[in-house]
Amino acid sequence: MRYRSQAVAYWYFAVAMVLFGLQLVFGLLSAAKYLGPDPLLNILPFDVTKVIHTNLLIVWVLTGFMGATYWMVPDESRTELYSTKLAYIQLGLWVVMGVTAVIGYLFRYGTGNKLLEQPLPHKIVIVIVMLMFLYNVIMTIRRSGRFTTTEGVLLLGVAGAAVLYLPALLHYENYTVSIIYRWWTIHLWVEGVWEMIQGGFLAYLLIRLSGADREVLEKWLYVIVGLVFIAGILGTAHHYYWVGVPQYWLPIGGFFSALEPVALVGMAMYAYSAIRRSGLAHPNTLALHWTIGSALFTLFGAGLLGLAHTWPSVNKWTHGTLVTAMHGHAAFYGAYAMIVLAMITFALPSMTHDRREQGSAVGYWSFWLQLAGMFGMTLSFATAGIGQVYLERILGLGYLDTQLKIQVHFLMLIATATLFSIGVGLFIWDFFRTRPRFEIVAEGAPPAAPARVAVT
Amino acid sequence: MNKRQARLFAIASTGLATVAFLGLTLHSHTKFDELTNAQNNTPQVQSGRDVWHKYNCVNCHTLFGEGAYYAPDLTKITQLRGEQYLKAYMRDPSAFYDEQRHRRLMPKQNLSEREITDLIAFLDWVSKVDNQGWPPRPILVTGASIPGTDFGPAQGTSSGTASTLPPGARPVTGTENPIALGAAAFRSVAPACNACHSTAPGVNMAGPSLAGVAARAEELIGSPEYKGQAKDVKSYLIESIRTPSAYVVPGTMYSADGTSFMPNTYEHDLSAEQIDQLAEYLSTLK
Ligand code: HEC
Ligand code: HEC
Ligand code: HEM
Ligand SMILES: [Fe+2]
Repeated sequence: MRYRSQAVAYWYFAVAMVLFGLQLVFGLLSAAKYLGPDPLLNILPFDVTKVIHTNLLIVWVLTGFMGATYWMVPDESRTELYSTKLAYIQLGLWVVMGVTAVIGYLFRYGTGNKLLEQPLPHKIVIVIVMLMFLYNVIMTIRRSGRFTTTEGVLLLGVAGAAVLYLPALLHYENYTVSIIYRWWTIHLWVEGVWEMIQGGFLAYLLIRLSGADREVLEKWLYVIVGLVFIAGILGTAHHYYWVGVPQYWLPIGGFFSALEPVALVGMAMYAYSAIRRSGLAHPNTLALHWTIGSALFTLFGAGLLGLAHTWPSVNKWTHGTLVTAMHGHAAFYGAYAMIVLAMITFALPSMTHDRREQGSAVGYWSFWLQLAGMFGMTLSFATAGIGQVYLERILGLGYLDTQLKIQVHFLMLIATATLFSIGVGLFIWDFFRTRPRFEIVAEGAPPAAPARVAVT
Repeated sequence: MNKRQARLFAIASTGLATVAFLGLTLHSHTKFDELTNAQNNTPQVQSGRDVWHKYNCVNCHTLFGEGAYYAPDLTKITQLRGEQYLKAYMRDPSAFYDEQRHRRLMPKQNLSEREITDLIAFLDWVSKVDNQGWPPRPILVTGASIPGTDFGPAQGTSSGTASTLPPGARPVTGTENPIALGAAAFRSVAPACNACHSTAPGVNMAGPSLAGVAARAEELIGSPEYKGQAKDVKSYLIESIRTPSAYVVPGTMYSADGTSFMPNTYEHDLSAEQIDQLAEYLSTLK
């Protein structure tokens, strides 16, 4: 840690860890309900566990984004944060918002609009928190006078995320129109501005971890951002196909969303070649695993598995089946969960006691268990989804009868999800294992960065 | 390419895509009214939409294929199920399905009668939105477009008793809603009706699809082609079961010389009550 105020990141990460753990509890509950019968049918039905599962995901990932930004901006701008007090008030407000939202969901207090279930008061608090966050970050950068490209991309991503949340606050008379604007938030988040955030963290990590040249990395970062938006903005239409829009959105959505993986291929090549060409300049190899892992898993989960069902003539059959769940899990995990875990792994050795830079054995176990678990979950959803498409959509077997015939895949889902949860449990344990330590270590001094370790 | 050019590329491509996207969005707004029959998006439909949201239906079901995958898609449900069926079902889903049998059940939602009516109006509006013909084939809740595919291996050989009911059907105790009893009988009498009839629109097998049979019957009774005795929909359906040849649906694959290919054994093999329940169920298929 080079700046005292970077300590706020620790508390954001700690909250993210707790919420991540809680997310999995509700995920496992939901999976158990797929298998059924459900002893909690009238107390805690599927719709409730599922809302909590997805909302906790969004909240913890955003908490991680904010924490990681508070960690990264002082490093990039070489200054203390503008206001740590503001950062803590923001975190407090955010946690209160998140906890009350989840309690509300237990009683079905919510808007019932997928992924945007937050009640209006909560939505307003979310906007306020985002504004506080942006203000704090912008003031930090302004005061320092040093504004890097990496930081700029991250900041625009965060600001874009705030702006794109606004359509979710409005009321629409027409259900079709409300669906369209719902995707302005959800799709343009995950396939637009959040990819800028991911790109920003990725560039930061690569600059720190590898010996790669900042100018070169930042040039390619721009190219990636350009590719994301050429494809991603018009690619929104891959969610418009069957909801009651003019015909022309089908070819447009198909064509542009099929281009989306180009940016993801770019991102993976970017990460790989930075390390390949310039070697390692930092001992934290565990953080390197998470960083490269995130770029590659995004390519698999978002790029490949997104492409698999993005064309209208395929989507017509797969839309609304477990094939979507297959892609959603792999993509979200690879792109956003893993990049947050990478930032945490990178920052952790300098925020806690008794920790080797290289990462612990537990840390490696956690990495591989999570990867294997998530890969297995993706396969379980895929096999279940493909079975569902053939039986229910193509052969016309009833929904309930189809679900009975694909039970074995739900067993596999629960088994692999358990593996995944053990991996996450180890990560959380590793995080809290040692006390936090907020000492300032100057650049170049041990243990932050011993001499260059050449790996080629 | 240098860094400045790369930045220019990022800004220009984002700008272009944004302009194109906003332009098309504006254009789409001039088409939504027509595509979604906005004139029918009445206050009742809107309050039905609010009911849909209030009870969080979208986190189990999909509508337009969007939502959760724990329960069937409901985009065209009002075209597969009649209003009376849906009302009875919403009041108590457990009268229609058995959790032990297919491991899943919709919890009772405790809607008021008013909410149920509004909800059905909303779902009906949804079913008529011009959404590029999706789904390409009807998505059924239970049963099958192709007979027999919904039977488990143990159930394939015989039919009739509770333990050999198809996976979707509830074991019948005799105290349920007559519509639910009729729906169960449709799959369990011998020979099973669903061996020849689908309730999915357009799926004609050995017998014609019974989707919308009630509406068709209503039209038919008043017309000169009809030679049977029935005066209303229910009696038409009872007649169709008891004496299939009283009136035959046109089509050489359905009858020859005025004699229907549908078995004429039900009159003796089923009780009057069972036939009544079957008619009760079929008359919800509007
Ligand atoms: C906890 C999950 C859950 C929730 C919430 C839920 N459903 Fe269902 N629904 C199901 C399941 C499971 C089925 C399949 C049939 C069964 O098991 O009852 C179903 C079936 C249906 C059917 C089809 C019945 C048939 O036989 O055709 C309709 C219509 C329906 N639900 C409407 C609704 C509406 C409207 C809401 C919101 C008020 C809702 N559901 C909320 C789980 C749910
Ligand atoms: C062996 C095949 C077969 C079975 C089993 C069968 N049907 Fe039919 N059904 C037909 C055929 C063929 C027709 C068309 C000729 C006619 O109108 O009788 C028909 C016609 C009908 C019609 C009139 C449809 C219309 O559009 O007017 C009704 C109602 C009907 N069946 C109900 C039933 C019921 C209820 C059962 C079970 C108790 C049943 N069917 C069993 C073959 C069958
Ligand atoms: C990091 C990037 C991505 C994330 C986090 C992500 C996540 C998701 C999620 C969660 C859903 C389900 C949404 C819902 O049903 O409400 C979804 C749907 C979808 N995604 Fe992605 N995605 C990403 C990238 C992509 C890419 C690159 C493509 C195409 C090449 C793609 C294609 C699709 C399609 C077609 C659907 C709709 C499926 C359907 O409902 O028919 N996604 N995505
Ligand atoms: Fe998308």
